[in-house]
Amino acid sequence: MSRLLARRLCWLLTLFLAGCATHADRIRDARLAFFRGDLDQASRLIDQELERKKSDQDVLQLEQAMVRLAEGRPDEAEQLLRTVRDRFDHFEQKHIGEQALSMLTDDQVIAYAGEDYERVLIRAMLALANLMQGGEDALAYALQVQQMQQQIMESATLRAGEDAKLSYRPVALAPYLHGVLAEQTHRDYDVAARSYLHVASWQPEFAAAQNDLQRAQFGRHSAPGHGVLYVFALVGRGPYKEEKIEVASTVSLILAEHILRATGMHKMPPSIAPVKVPALVVPPCSVQNVVVSVNGRDCGRTETITDIAQMAKDQYAEVYPQIVARAIVRRIVKKAAVYTAKEAIDNPVAGLALDLGNIVWDFTESADTRCWALLPAKIQVLRLELPAGTHQISLRANHGGITSGGGGTAWVQIADGANTYVLANIPQDRLVGSLVTNRHGFPPKAGETSR
Amino acid sequence: MDRRHFLRMSGAFCMAGVALSGCRTKQHAQVLRDDQADLVGNKAAGAETFGPLVEEAVAKLLGRHHSGLQTVSAPSQPLVVCFLGVENKSSEELGDFREQLYQLIDTKIEQSNLYRPVSRRYVDAALRETRMRPDQLFVPENMGLFMATLGRYGQPINCLMYATITSGTTHEDNAYQRDYLLTMEIVNVHTGDYDKESAKIRKGYERSRLPGPIAKSGFFSWW
Repeated sequence: MSRLLARRLCWLLTLFLAGCATHADRIRDARLAFFRGDLDQASRLIDQELERKKSDQDVLQLEQAMVRLAEGRPDEAEQLLRTVRDRFDHFEQKHIGEQALSMLTDDQVIAYAGEDYERVLIRAMLALANLMQGGEDALAYALQVQQMQQQIMESATLRAGEDAKLSYRPVALAPYLHGVLAEQTHRDYDVAARSYLHVASWQPEFAAAQNDLQRAQFGRHSAPGHGVLYVFALVGRGPYKEEKIEVASTVSLILAEHILRATGMHKMPPSIAPVKVPALVVPPCSVQNVVVSVNGRDCGRTETITDIAQMAKDQYAEVYPQIVARAIVRRIVKKAAVYTAKEAIDNPVAGLALDLGNIVWDFTESADTRCWALLPAKIQVLRLELPAGTHQISLRANHGGITSGGGGTAWVQIADGANTYVLANIPQDRLVGSLVTNRHGFPPKAGETSR
Repeated sequence: MDRRHFLRMSGAFCMAGVALSGCRTKQHAQVLRDDQADLVGNKAAGAETFGPLVEEAVAKLLGRHHSGLQTVSAPSQPLVVCFLGVENKSSEELGDFREQLYQLIDTKIEQSNLYRPVSRRYVDAALRETRMRPDQLFVPENMGLFMATLGRYGQPINCLMYATITSGTTHEDNAYQRDYLLTMEIVNVHTGDYDKESAKIRKGYERSRLPGPIAKSGFFSWW
């Protein structure tokens, strides 16, 4: 009987030490399947999680949207992204009940409203998904990105002063898309120039912005008989969250407990459980850029228009102290509750039971690792002016001078005076899914040239 | 007893207040009647600025119609106008207002019966075909090519029309005033004669710790 009890206690202890599975643990296999290029498996795993964990449905739908986009189904991706955008906007308001409950459990009971960078990028991805279907609403989404950025920056300034603005590097993709769409009208060159000016100041590393600005100010969209091809590449593996132990805070809590005990508060419950917080992990990006070939000839390399990894890192560094502070406040609230109960009961046996209960209570906490884990590290773009007609586009990922040929090939149609868009998802060394475009072309019949 | 009842009620109201302030609100909307005022943008110009600007500028231009341009068309015929769009030279983004301004102006011109605007689809097609920028159309060869293209579409024109939004900002401590000017310019493509009219709206922006409605009332402006 005693052996059975010991075994049960061992199991219980192992369970508590391991903690509960976090979102990061649950989505890991789906992420790996996506980066391997196994979209069916990724989709199936996300669907399974969607059925199992309703509370994570928003972030899971974001992952599903990325899978749909890579599969060449931008319409479905757009629908999913739109749903989550609206829900995040709703959850952005704080709910006092959830906040209070989170002090007794952990932050996972709070409805997830997305990190600031995620709320901006949902709109950016909506714009890209819409462009791949013709771009009727792409301008609206691009404007929404800029509005959301403005809103976030204003609330950050109110919260933490003018310095907070430094952590919020705006997404240059939004004004870039605005400029691209304005230029295509052959009329709104002033809008295009204004937009490219924003791009040049927000993303100075994006050298093509100077050419774009020059063209919008003094040039034209394209020469007669030509159209423009924009290749958007989602490269690298984006940031995600993992549970980590906040060592400094854990040690501080233990020391604080010892000091309080030494000053006479003998009923202070012991601090054993580590303080767990979500840490942002930014995997190294092996893809430097993407080489674009047209009809077998290399025509250029993509350039970074938005560095998602850097943006997430900067913004997360800004909110991280608040996340740690919440975890510590939670511990203090729990300790205070147990301490008050021990004072009220004043019974050594009951006190021991309460201490054990408090330890168990602390161990059940998990870090809130919900995030949009299938984001790319960078969004890159290349603009090419090409003669109207059908062209074969091939992509190759460039890893610091070494190119891998798995970037995908597609036939696209270039229309006179209009834009054609191609979207590629290259998280590692090769294309995931297929090249997505708004104007599919067909290979020329025998005897015809590819124009 | 009364005091206890009062305290109980106060407590209930306080609890309800805390609960309501801590709940997520739902977004609501209503259709504004014509007699209801537009919302006033507190960071940039909005419907309250652009609506009256368009009304006034277009009305002034149409009012001067007969005294202004010499045209090649018969006096009873409306002038065929190619409206090239709204150029933004102000310090603010027009955002989604740009298209609306275009449509508002275009509709008002069309309804005047004094001018007949060419459909935007023809204008866009001609710009695309000729690869001309709107600002290049005043070079005679470019103008000739553009008019010939529109003529080929069966849309010969008499005038080109431009709208331009500009702004001027004056700062004073925590407040600033921004003047918005909408200028409508019409150029006879045959003679080069031009006419223009403007409408101006001034707006004051101020940072205040007072709640919006009280700050707007100006009651504590001396404070």
